[in-house]
Amino acid sequence: MVVFGLWVINKAGGLVYQRNFTDGLAQLTSNEYLVLAGTLHGIHAITSRLSPTGPSSGAQVIEGETFKLTILLTVTGTKFVLSTPLAETAAESILQRVYEIYSDTVMKNPFHTPEMPIRSEGFDSRIVGLLGSGQS
Amino acid sequence: VIAVGEDPSASTVPPTTSAGSRTNTLTFDEEAKLVYGVILSLRNMIKKLSRRDEQFTSYRTSTYRLHLYETLSGYKFVMLSDPSTDGLRFVLRQIYSGPFVDYVARNPLVSMDSREQGIDNEYFRASVDRMIRGLSVFA
Repeated sequence: MVVFGLWVINKAGGLVYQRNFTDGLAQLTSNEYLVLAGTLHGIHAITSRLSPTGPSSGAQVIEGETFKLTILLTVTGTKFVLSTPLAETAAESILQRVYEIYSDTVMKNPFHTPEMPIRSEGFDSRIVGLLGSGQS
Repeated sequence: VIAVGEDPSASTVPPTTSAGSRTNTLTFDEEAKLVYGVILSLRNMIKKLSRRDEQFTSYRTSTYRLHLYETLSGYKFVMLSDPSTDGLRFVLRQIYSGPFVDYVARNPLVSMDSREQGIDNEYFRASVDRMIRGLSVFA
């Protein structure tokens, strides 16, 4: 399974985790990732209002020509965003596993402040184990 | 189906829609502006993230799917469909090269880049309607 990158966005729209894996997308500065995460948060909210047939979730998959972004919105408002090639079919199950790793290593960590940037070795090492190593 | 035209100074033209009313709380104008805003932001985001110069093509939610086709002249064709349909960009392309060119671009009475007046003419609507109803994915 090929993954370009993973973002975790808190319920206010701020980026709390960002990591790139396989090379495939442009290299951006951390400030640019922050801006993009905020934009995505806003877009997600608007897309749920544009539905022609009544209430809808926000955007779940956003496609470009060679890659797509898959978004998992949890009940607590946290968003997990995975960027993968178009052909990748397992994106949603990967995101479920990322969510499990997040709840095990971040939420159960008594020293982690909720909605703050994630600085946890446990989270990092398990994510690397799941998705391959890369760089932040 | 909404067609939104844009001239180089980035203004929008009020679009036409296909027949069928919706029971949502947004007026048509507000919705058109939201659609345009979402599309513009998504386009910029995808361009930024991608290494080569890529286009945003579609997005899907739990109840609908939005497809975008953008022409070289700056016109954006947007279609909303059921979430399980696959890419309908080629349909939008056909709408552009068929009814749009025939009844709008070639029509001397239609002012294409005006800000107040949309593109709304009977032939265009009817032929788009026919084309969509003739699609295999149209239930």
